[in-house]
Amino acid sequence: VNALKENPMATDDDDILTGPVPAPEVEATASERMRAKSFGELVDKTLTGRTPPAMSADDRALLEVATVIRAASGNVELAAAKRRSIVEDALRQAVGDVAAKTSGAAIPITRARKKWVPWAVAGASALVAAAAVLLLWLRGPERIYVQGGGDVAMPEHWKSRPTDPLIGPIAQERAGDASARIDAIYADRLDGYRERQLARGRKP
Amino acid sequence: MKYWYGSLLIAVIAITGYISCGNDREPTPTVRTADPAEVIGEDLMISLSKAKNFHHKARVYMSDGKPAEAIAAVREILSLKFPAGAPEAEDVRNDARASLAKLLVGQGNVEEAMKVVTEGIAQSQRESFFVANLYTVKGEIHEARAALLEPTDPNVKVEKRAAIEAYDKSNQINTVLQQRLMEER
Repeated sequence: VNALKENPMATDDDDILTGPVPAPEVEATASERMRAKSFGELVDKTLTGRTPPAMSADDRALLEVATVIRAASGNVELAAAKRRSIVEDALRQAVGDVAAKTSGAAIPITRARKKWVPWAVAGASALVAAAAVLLLWLRGPERIYVQGGGDVAMPEHWKSRPTDPLIGPIAQERAGDASARIDAIYADRLDGYRERQLARGRKP
Repeated sequence: MKYWYGSLLIAVIAITGYISCGNDREPTPTVRTADPAEVIGEDLMISLSKAKNFHHKARVYMSDGKPAEAIAAVREILSLKFPAGAPEAEDVRNDARASLAKLLVGQGNVEEAMKVVTEGIAQSQRESFFVANLYTVKGEIHEARAALLEPTDPNVKVEKRAAIEAYDKSNQINTVLQQRLMEER
């Protein structure tokens, strides 16, 4: 009122934010009541999701302030679609869907989870284990093969055998020298015996 | 999803089949574990050790002028138990017989010596240098027999002929065995 008194040419279209501030005890004018009523209706429409496509800069600024004040009061509830979108975005990031995250598109949570991944890993592991068991069963244990009975020959000096190659022809003057020959035979067979025992991982 | 499982199953089967059948170039091994009678075992080593000790014992007795004890020690070798089928057993016994026969001849017990040698030749399952040695000792025994006879005794020629035959047999066995060993090498 004072502002109107000071400036008789001022109208309701003047910027109320930049205009003079009326005193607190001054009664509201009819135009101020009208403006307050229209702003209240604007706030109600905004809260119900029916925000008008066009409004003045002053109304938009006031509307933003009103929205912030209402949100700060703690009683704001998001729309169902918005809530679902936020939750799905968070779960998608937890699953690791980078492509979907970058695109910003909301993917239904049932598709984003990839339920088949753990089953696929478990199935592949089971198949590999079955293949390993089958392979062991087909190949059989390792065995030692005896010469003539297989393709891997047992060393000849591990075997009991005639001593002719070791002793050779016996000269007549040494016909009774069996003591020296048994020494040679024993030493030779002991070498083979020890080697075989060591190869089998046992002490001779 | 179904295609993925199917592909995995086919891959596993293919890998398993390749590994198990990939060495077809090698012949399928004949499973035959080592026969204990064919390898040098503890029983054979114990028997050989005993034979060695009896020979040493006889040598000590002989050096101490006790031929009877030496003969008894060598006889012990003939009664040693070897693993069944061990070729070393026949060789060791034949060598002990040759040594025993020489000791008996030295004691003038020629007939007993001939018996020891003859039994050894008869019991031998194969020709060996030890059998050839028995024939050599047999020739010596025939010579000893001839030496014990009167020079005019007609058996002298018989014994000398037998000695020559025994030496020839010994040489024949040695020749064949040496030829065989040369071919094996």
